[in-house]
Amino acid sequence: MSDKLKDIINKQGEQQNPDLIDLDNVVQLVGFIIGDEEYAIPILAIQEIIKPFSWTRVPQVPSYVKGVFNMRGSVIPLIDLRLKFGLPEQKHNDETRFIVMKVGDEVAGFVIDRLTMALRIKKENIGPAPDTINSDDSLIDGVGKEEDRIITILKADKLLKRDF
Amino acid sequence: MDEFQEILQDFLVESFELVEKLDEDLVELENTPEDLELLNGIFRVAHTVKGASSFLNFDVLTHLTHHMEDVLNKARHGDLIITSDIMDVILESVDLMKALLTVIRDTSADAGIDVTACVARLDKVSGGDGDVPTPEVQVAPVVEETPVVEEDSAKEEEVASATDEPDYDNMSDDDVEAEIQRLLAERQEQDKAKRKAKIDAGEKVAAPPPTPEEVVQTPTPEPEPTPSAPVAPPPPPPPAAPVPASGGDEAPKAAAPAKKAPAVEQTIRVDVKRLDHLMNLIGELVLAKNRLIKINDDVEERYEGEEFLEELNQVVSIVSLVTTDLQIAVMKTRMLPIGKVFNKFPRMIRDLTRELNKKIELEISGEETELDKSIVEEIGDPLVHIIRNSCDHGIEQPDARVALGKEETGTISLKAYNEGNQIVIQIDDDGKGLDTTMLKKKSIEKGIITEKEAEQMGDKEAFGLIFRPGFSTAAQVTNVSGRGVGMDVVKTNIEKLNGIIDIDSEIDKGTSMKLKIPLTLAIIQALLVGVQEETYAIPLASVLETVRISTDEVYTVEGKSVMRLRDEVLSLVHISDIFEVDRIIDGGEHAYVVVLGLGAQKLGLIVDTLVGQEEIVIKSLGEYLKGIEGVAGATIRGDGGVTLIVDVVALMDMARKVKTSVVQSAANAVAQITLEKTKASDYTIMIVDDSKTDRTIMRKALEALGVTLVEAVDGQEALNTLKSSDHNFDAMLIDIEMPRMDGYTLAGEIKKYNRYKNLPLIAVTSRTGKSDRMRGVESGMVEYITKPYSADYLSSVVQRNINFKSEFLS
Repeated sequence: MSDKLKDIINKQGEQQNPDLIDLDNVVQLVGFIIGDEEYAIPILAIQEIIKPFSWTRVPQVPSYVKGVFNMRGSVIPLIDLRLKFGLPEQKHNDETRFIVMKVGDEVAGFVIDRLTMALRIKKENIGPAPDTINSDDSLIDGVGKEEDRIITILKADKLLKRDF
Repeated sequence: MDEFQEILQDFLVESFELVEKLDEDLVELENTPEDLELLNGIFRVAHTVKGASSFLNFDVLTHLTHHMEDVLNKARHGDLIITSDIMDVILESVDLMKALLTVIRDTSADAGIDVTACVARLDKVSGGDGDVPTPEVQVAPVVEETPVVEEDSAKEEEVASATDEPDYDNMSDDDVEAEIQRLLAERQEQDKAKRKAKIDAGEKVAAPPPTPEEVVQTPTPEPEPTPSAPVAPPPPPPPAAPVPASGGDEAPKAAAPAKKAPAVEQTIRVDVKRLDHLMNLIGELVLAKNRLIKINDDVEERYEGEEFLEELNQVVSIVSLVTTDLQIAVMKTRMLPIGKVFNKFPRMIRDLTRELNKKIELEISGEETELDKSIVEEIGDPLVHIIRNSCDHGIEQPDARVALGKEETGTISLKAYNEGNQIVIQIDDDGKGLDTTMLKKKSIEKGIITEKEAEQMGDKEAFGLIFRPGFSTAAQVTNVSGRGVGMDVVKTNIEKLNGIIDIDSEIDKGTSMKLKIPLTLAIIQALLVGVQEETYAIPLASVLETVRISTDEVYTVEGKSVMRLRDEVLSLVHISDIFEVDRIIDGGEHAYVVVLGLGAQKLGLIVDTLVGQEEIVIKSLGEYLKGIEGVAGATIRGDGGVTLIVDVVALMDMARKVKTSVVQSAANAVAQITLEKTKASDYTIMIVDDSKTDRTIMRKALEALGVTLVEAVDGQEALNTLKSSDHNFDAMLIDIEMPRMDGYTLAGEIKKYNRYKNLPLIAVTSRTGKSDRMRGVESGMVEYITKPYSADYLSSVVQRNINFKSEFLS
């Protein structure tokens, strides 16, 4: 019995090991859709993903700041990425989600059209943002290639930075 | 050796407290040198510190305090008149004492600070003639330079000789003798105390308990002290002559309470982090309580008259009562009087006046005003900067003041008081005031502003220039100020506390600075008001009263709305103008005015409804949304929603800028959206019915027209669909009997909105009674179709009501 167990454990270890080695060269991301484009955010910047619920409007802010909402006792700003990216507003539907991102002490919720999947992209498959985009102010961290898709990787810290 | 650490901590807490008090008292003493009571008090402080430090083997400290004590003792007996020069020496020694205590706190030993020079000067003073000891004179004998413990008896001699040496010239032999005797006696007492304490090694020497507000950081365990308390030397022979000074009597008095460790501890020291955590928990509890109350109300409504309700009511009220008490209690543990901060200023002013050769008097009032601990800690530095600035730049030299016909002595007054939900700290001086022209000129020179900006600047803005980084008006850089840092730090620090600075100044009259700091005590009472579909919380402390008015009581004066409130005229502003609320619901004939008061300012805030009074927990909007004008924060309500808290101070400012008249007809504000219909499917009709069959029948009847149909299963859903307005609906077919929200209520709700005033609502129901039809009309239905009906009939009614163009009929 114990031999069997050992075998299993060993096998599992073998299976996991290559992954572990790879982890250094792999970026884990969460992909989502806004408009027609697929974007991704490093998984470590994401605190949670929740279904939409009610929020409170806040005056004197750009239209893409929808307001604030209550996440288990914390008041958190809600930012609509469609509006932020210059797309027309869309009614929330079953697929709409709030992605709550956290970098340092900064927390905010972002409205996205729908989630795609958790991604693991090898570092060598991530290219820099196009030269035409000023890399300091840009929200874009890089462009990931996965099979036949191209995914824009966003900078969570830039998204969380107030720009008004 | 834990016990030693404990004693050491007690000693430090006590000593720091005493020293803090000492500063204040000494400055006061300088003004009233005859005050024996005060002098005695000061003497006792020096003495207590000396006693305790000798017990703990801090010899440098003992040495220093001992000599201070000498001087003070002389003064106490009238042998010495305290002049400001003597006071300088004493204050210097107090500073050294503080430095030593800090060193002890950090290293558990008192080495590393040279007290020789100071001791020498103290000795010179106590020499009796009260002559000015020049700081540079190094009379001190070399022997003094051994701060390390030597044999006790040897040290006694040293001490004695040190005291005596400079005095030989001025002292008679008898005096010297008496002094020696006195010292010996004192030493003896101390040794006795030491021995006694060693015998009772189990007992700790308890310092008098710190004041309840005192919260001290947890001690840092440090290396053990030298355990080498030498065996007590043979007691010196009893003095032959009667002890001349009462110093000897003081020793046992001070030592006695130290030995009796009180069994009952009145205070404990608590880590601030624990209090913070407690405060957060209370915040959560208050939210939960609010929620409980709301649920209780709902339950009460639904199960009216049930027996268990009373029990529930009782529990809810007990919980809410206890929560409130608990919250107040925790809040109080965090409150400190601002006097803690103010205490250090008399000394500072005194030093500055001597340094700057000015005459300045400090008046302090309101030191009992209580503030949250975190604010008390933060407010000290900004105040130091401001007061230094007033001394250096504000108050003129005495001759300049006389030339201007002012009192020679300048006055700086420091006041603290509550105003609404703010604490105001006001610093006034009667100095030369701020010269706006000069301020602007300097700023332009330094490139802080452009000439054009300067031209457009008002007085207040010009005063604000002193807070710009890199600005300094002192022509000459002094030790006190003029390095161009400071005032901008003040501003940053105050803003960190969410406070504001208000400056007023008049040339040659003086400057007045008001720091307004919100009581960021996390929980406040608030009045909740409704406007359209939104709710806002107004801190109750700023609300004077609320009145209900009808819209024709509002008058317009120069584009501003005002109303008459008893015998005064109150300017009005509509909350929706401040917070950019779309007016989609018609407010009706009546409105509520919340009269806000802030100092002398008053403002009427028009709201649609008064929701009620509630205890709210202030939450910050976070870094991303900070600094929104008019919003002080947010709170989470019983239903889990977020409500914004109105910043009354900012609101007063914003109200001045709002030009629009309050009573603008809401109907005009919302334009009717009527799009040209180009095809049948441009018409959109909502079917509201809880029965699927009924919906299908209606759908079948209308599908033939080719119009777009949207369905909803009850009133609530219909209302939501309507409001989220993906479509502009042209008509609604409404069933009366529905769960959640019935047809009448739905119609009533819809008609509240201006934009739906003309939306035809058609009741489709099996209720045929006359009274039902009446209710339908009352709630705003235009047609009443009773089931069963023919498809054609329904279709024709709908066509009529939506002005269906006949060309679309195929």
